Amino acid sequence: MEPLKIAGRTFDSRLLVGTGKFASNGLMAKALEASGSDIVTVALRRVDIENENDDMLSMINQNRYLLLPNTSGARDAKEAVRLARLARAATGIEWLKLEVTPDPYYLLPDPIETLKAADILVKEGFVVLPYINADPVLAKHLEEVGTATVMPLASPIGSNRGLQTRAAIEIIIEQANVPVVVDAGLGLPSHAADAMELGADAVLVNTAIATADNPVAMAEAFQLAVLAGRTAYLSGPGAIGRKASASSPLTGFLRE
Amino acid sequence: MQTPVSYQNFSDLWTRHSVFGERDTWQDRLDAVTCHDVEQALQATPGIYRPNRLLTLIAPAAQAYLEDMANAAHRLTVQRFGKTISLYAPLYVSNYCCNQCLYCGFNCNNEYERCRLTVEEAVNEARIIHKEGFTDLLLVSSEDRQFITVGYLCELAQQLRGMFSSLSLEIHQLETSEYKQLFEAGVDGVTLYQETYDPEVYAQYHLKGPKSDFNRRLRACDSFGLAGMRKLGLGVLLGLTDWRLEALALGMHGHYLMKQFWRSKISFSFPRLRPANKVQAQQFDHLMSDQDLVQMLLALRLCFADAGLVISTRESARLRDAMVPLGVTKMSAGSKTNPGGYGQKDKTLEQFAIDDTRCPAEVAHMLKTKGIEPVWKDWDTGFHA
Amino acid sequence: MKSLKINGESRDFPEGLPETLSALLDLLNINHATVVAEVDEKIIKRIQFSSTPLKSDQSIELVRFVGGG
Repeated sequence: MEPLKIAGRTFDSRLLVGTGKFASNGLMAKALEASGSDIVTVALRRVDIENENDDMLSMINQNRYLLLPNTSGARDAKEAVRLARLARAATGIEWLKLEVTPDPYYLLPDPIETLKAADILVKEGFVVLPYINADPVLAKHLEEVGTATVMPLASPIGSNRGLQTRAAIEIIIEQANVPVVVDAGLGLPSHAADAMELGADAVLVNTAIATADNPVAMAEAFQLAVLAGRTAYLSGPGAIGRKASASSPLTGFLRE
Repeated sequence: MQTPVSYQNFSDLWTRHSVFGERDTWQDRLDAVTCHDVEQALQATPGIYRPNRLLTLIAPAAQAYLEDMANAAHRLTVQRFGKTISLYAPLYVSNYCCNQCLYCGFNCNNEYERCRLTVEEAVNEARIIHKEGFTDLLLVSSEDRQFITVGYLCELAQQLRGMFSSLSLEIHQLETSEYKQLFEAGVDGVTLYQETYDPEVYAQYHLKGPKSDFNRRLRACDSFGLAGMRKLGLGVLLGLTDWRLEALALGMHGHYLMKQFWRSKISFSFPRLRPANKVQAQQFDHLMSDQDLVQMLLALRLCFADAGLVISTRESARLRDAMVPLGVTKMSAGSKTNPGGYGQKDKTLEQFAIDDTRCPAEVAHMLKTKGIEPVWKDWDTGFHA
Repeated sequence: MKSLKINGESRDFPEGLPETLSALLDLLNINHATVVAEVDEKIIKRIQFSSTPLKSDQSIELVRFVGGG
């Protein structure tokens, strides 16, 4: 099967995994392994001066996984750009998941600030993967400013509600000239398979794996689901039955 | 399945994926389509382009399913466009041409007296057209670079803007910067036929002149798309080569343009070869039957839910009337394809002989009897000076 | 009294400021290799930690990678 291509790089896995909300860094690392993922997101936070923390980054083998820093926590373009530059300074990695979420309840992405930040960051040489609501017009605007993908949400972060934005995602997939990664809200492997069957190029999953009773097993389940969904999409599924309604002949004139 | 790829322009895409580079393979694929494949294609949600779906619907096997295709196309068109068809008129401003295209009455080798209209003469013709009720005008010209310059067209557009709610062009290929000037002057659409997507056939019929550059022609729609034109019109001259392969090419081109110029709307025209001065039908090996024309139109509609489908007065009244419920969204009426044809008494050189000679009012009446509202004015830009 | 604003909070240094950014990190028991530092909104490269002097009232941001989606 053809690999996933983003910004000129190829990846075998179409499952991207987030590293947040795990019970421990050790468990997180095992789940990553089970997921078969090639791309892993991380966040940037202020160091907690009072407490000693495990160093999460050392648990991620950067030879195996592409680290994708996100700008979670940014409430506007300015903050997102600042976080992006910090992340790049730390790792030298130019890849970035652009996440601008001023709303602290649903963590819904701000379309205007995201587009602003994307424009700035693409010009600074970042490979930008923007997280957005499933807005087809916004997706085209982002493509125009040069983002490497678009990442529409299926449902709000952590809600595990699956493809609530299905109809809009279908349009984005139809219209996109860049890979479409369905990100956020995929709560079950079947949701991920569903997204892949629609034609998504990849999916990003975090909460559903991290908060499962057995994250390692769940990570494996997601890997299988993404593979199943993609294979199904490529094999040209049989059509869902539709009855044609009779009407008076429209092409009879050709036989006259 | 396609992995999204960026192409520089359509010529770039076509160089890599031309169906004419692998004629036999595509022919085999068309012949391999079965009844079951067609039934499956018809069951799927209509209106979304997939290369395989278009292939299936234009295949020989689909001929047996025209009635089903027609029903599906009719339903889809009514859903997206309502029970309406837009009317437009062409205004030919010149028949001087520097190109030698073997199928055209304006062929530069064709010895016939030529004429061109001054801006004032063109405006007078336009007034006659306007009086018939048209607000959608297509300015047409042969490649008369001496006189029909960007300056001329801009001036004409500025003068006509007040009279017409939509101005389109069907002229020789220009550069993006020139199309931009025209856009600023009030033109909102461009129609430009590739004529044929087969480079060998193209070379056979386009012997001399700027139009003989095949690859440049392939880039034309990119040029006017980039200039911001809202309406992008595509087409091939049906009869030059195998219509099925041309249909596949049109599908690819249309799909590419939709993704590249997402703010613009595409439309397909279906000009079939017509008799013209020094042009005989017998010269052409791939003349298209009515049945084939219908199949092509239906297949494109079922792959492009929102594309305009245009049938001009090249076709007979009988055929046009029958095609109304099949997905057509735009028709010309009462057309004159010679400069000065609307006002002058003397017959100047025509590009081709039209078939449906009914006046606009008759065509509008016909539409109404079929439960279709003839739309003279689609929208207004409102913001052009 | 010499003080610095670290991660948004003011901190006093009655015994005097650490001389360099590197010294500050050591004082706070923070691993140099995994921290990203900004002094007065300017990102400081890791190799420059030991050559970046600190002045009173500077604003310092210390950030590291954590798990995230």
